[in-house]
Amino acid sequence: MSALLDVQDVHTFIGQFHILEGVSLRVEEGQITALLGRNGAGKTTTLRTIMGMTPPARGAIFFDGRPIHGLPTYEVAQLGIGYVPDYRAIFRHLTVEENLHLAERRKGDLKRKADFIYHLFPDLARLRHLKGGQLSGGQQQMLAIARVLVPDNRLLLIDEPTEGLAPVLVEQLVEAIRQLREQTTVLLVEQNFAVARHLADTFVIVDDGRTVCQGTMEELANDPATVHRYLGVAVGGEA
Amino acid sequence: MRRYRAVLIALAIAVVGIGLVGRSMKPGTLVATLLSGLTLGALYFLIAAGLSLIFGLMDVLNFAHGTLFMLGAYVAWTWVQNPHGLLLWAGLVLAVAGGSATAAWWLNWSPDRRPGRWTRRWLVAVGVALIGVTAWQWLRWPQALTLLLAAGGGLAVGLGAFRPPVVRPPHRRLVWRGVAVVGLLLVTVLLDAQGPTLASAVAGWGSNAKFVSAIVVGTLAGAVAGALMEWSLIRPLYERPIYQVLLTLGIVFAGNEVARAIWGVGAKRMEKPGWFGQPCRSESLAAWVYEQCASVTVLGRSFPTYRLFVIVLGVLLFVALIVLLRRSRLGMIIRAGVQDREMVEALGINVRQVFTLVFALGAGLAALGGVAAAPFVGVYPEMGLEYMLQAFIVVVIGGMGSVPGAALGALLVGLARAFGDYIVLSGVSLPWMEKAVRMSPSIARASTVLIMAIVLMVRPAGLFGEEE
Repeated sequence: MSALLDVQDVHTFIGQFHILEGVSLRVEEGQITALLGRNGAGKTTTLRTIMGMTPPARGAIFFDGRPIHGLPTYEVAQLGIGYVPDYRAIFRHLTVEENLHLAERRKGDLKRKADFIYHLFPDLARLRHLKGGQLSGGQQQMLAIARVLVPDNRLLLIDEPTEGLAPVLVEQLVEAIRQLREQTTVLLVEQNFAVARHLADTFVIVDDGRTVCQGTMEELANDPATVHRYLGVAVGGEA
Repeated sequence: MRRYRAVLIALAIAVVGIGLVGRSMKPGTLVATLLSGLTLGALYFLIAAGLSLIFGLMDVLNFAHGTLFMLGAYVAWTWVQNPHGLLLWAGLVLAVAGGSATAAWWLNWSPDRRPGRWTRRWLVAVGVALIGVTAWQWLRWPQALTLLLAAGGGLAVGLGAFRPPVVRPPHRRLVWRGVAVVGLLLVTVLLDAQGPTLASAVAGWGSNAKFVSAIVVGTLAGAVAGALMEWSLIRPLYERPIYQVLLTLGIVFAGNEVARAIWGVGAKRMEKPGWFGQPCRSESLAAWVYEQCASVTVLGRSFPTYRLFVIVLGVLLFVALIVLLRRSRLGMIIRAGVQDREMVEALGINVRQVFTLVFALGAGLAALGGVAAAPFVGVYPEMGLEYMLQAFIVVVIGGMGSVPGAALGALLVGLARAFGDYIVLSGVSLPWMEKAVRMSPSIARASTVLIMAIVLMVRPAGLFGEEE
C-alpha cells in the first residue's frame, strides 16, 4: 500500500543551519499521525518543508505518488494540502468570514462547507463578522483549522493546535479534530502527549532533525522508555 | 480607534499649519490656496497609492514609480500629437503580448506537454532574438511579416519561460481565457490592418475625445510597462532588496535618458480638453457647465477649472480603490498579503501572480496621474523624479501599505506645498512679528519634510501604518 504522504530522507537548511538531517515519515490515508519530538527537534520545519516554504536540499517528498519537493507553496496547497501553522496566521484585518472566503479554491467552496464548519465550530458562526484580530487565541485556532476545511483538502498539517489554550478549549479542539478523521488525513504536531495519544493512530518521533522511530500509537503507549527518552514525559502522566 | 486618532493627528497638523500661514489671507486667497493644495494632493495620491501598495505587499521600494508617471504623460502627449506613430508601435507590443498569451494559455490547457529543458532555453533565446530583430526592422519589413515574427517571438518566449500549473484550472475558466486570447489576437490584426484609418480618425477628434482616450491609452501603457517591469526585472530580485533599490533607481536614470532620446529635452505643452479650455471665466460651477470656461470664480478669485477636475479625479479613484480593496477577492488577497504573504500562499493562492497584477495596477494609477498632470505642469523628463520624491514622503507619512494613509498623506503634503508656495510669494507674519518675513522657495519643499518628521515622532510607522 502506498502512503498518502511519503517523506524520504529529507534534509533542510535554514540559512547555514542544517535543521533537518534526514527526516522520513509516511502518513496513511484516513489516519491521524502524530509528529512528536522535543522543542527544536525539527517538527515545524518538517511541516514547512512539506509545504515548500523551506524547500529541502536533499531527499524526496511524494504526495499521492507524485513528487512535490521543489514545487512552490501555492501549488503544494492546490494539490490538496492544508496548513495550520503554530502561530495560527489569522488575517487580522479580515473578518472571520473573509478569512474563510480567502481559502476558497473554487467559487462556492465556502457555501458548500459552511454548515459543516459552523457545526464543528459553533463559535465561529456567531463571530462571523468580527475581525480576525479581535478573536481570542482559542477562537483564532478554530478559525485557522476551519480555514483549511473550506477547500477539499486531502491532507491537513496541523502544528501545535492546543498550545497555550485553556483546558476547556483543548477539549473542544480535540473533539473537532477527532471528527475530522472521517473527512481527511491529518499530520499533527502535538507537544501534549495525552492529547496525541488520544487522537492519533500512528506516530513519528523526530529528534535532532532525524526520524528516530515510527509506529502505531498503541506501541508507543506500551513503550514508556522511548516516550521518556525522546519526549521527556511519563506515559500515564497528564501533561 | 487607531484610524480616528490618525485622522485627528493629520487634522491637527493641517489646522495649525493653515492657521499660522492663512491668518493674514483673504478668504478668496485662502480657498484658492486650499484648492491648489488639493490638486497637488490628488496627483501625489495617484503616485503614492501604488507605491504604498507595492511596498506593503511585496516589500519593493519602487523608485521607478515616478518614471511610470512620466511615461503616462509622454504617451498621452504622443497620443494627442501623433496617434499614427503610437498606434504603429502599439501593434508590436500587442503582437508580442498576443503571442505570449497564447503560449500561457496552451501551457494551462495541456500542462503535460511542456517542452524539455534545453528546448525551453532555445525557445527563449530564439524568441528574444526574434522580438529584437522585429523591433529593429519594424516599419521597414512588410507589416504582415513583422507582425507574425513578433507574435512568434512572444509565443517562443512564453513557451520557454512560463511554467505550466501543477493543477489544471477548471475547464470553463480555460475556455473563457481562450476566448480572451483570441480576442487579443483579433484586436492585434485589426489594429494592424486599420491602424492608419484609426489614427486619422483620432487626429480628427475634438480635444475632449482626445483627452479621454489619452487617459485610457496612457493608463494602459503604464500598466503594461509596470507588469513587464515586475516580471522581467524585479521578480528575479525579490530575495535581494539592495539590488532592487539599485535596479529601480537605475531605471529612473535610464528612463530619463530614453525619454530625452525619444521626445527631446525640453518641456512639452499638452492642450487642456475643451471642457476646461474656453478662454473665459465662469461665475459659478453651474455657469461653467454651459460655458466650459478655463477658470471659475471662487469667493471672488479666479481658479482653473481643470484643477477642480483633477481633484474630482483623485477623489473618484480613491473611492474606487477602497471599493476594490474592501469588496473584491483581489482586494482581500492584497489586505491579507500585506500582513502575511507566506500564509496567503499556503492557502493555494499564486502570490507572484498577484504581485504582477498589483504592480500593473499601481503603475497604471501613476501613469494616470501623469496624464492628469500633463495639461497643467507640462511634460518633461524630470517630472517623474520630482513627483516621486513627494510621493515617497506621502507614503512615509501615511504608513506603508495603506491606501487611506496614502490619501491622508497626499492631502497633507499637497496642502503644505501650496501654502509653502504662498509663503514664498507673500512672506509670512507670525503673531509676534512686526512685519512679514520673506522666505526662499525651498521652504515649500522643506515644509513637507517637516510634516513627515512631526508625524514620525508621534507615530513611527506613519499615520495608518502598523508596527511590526
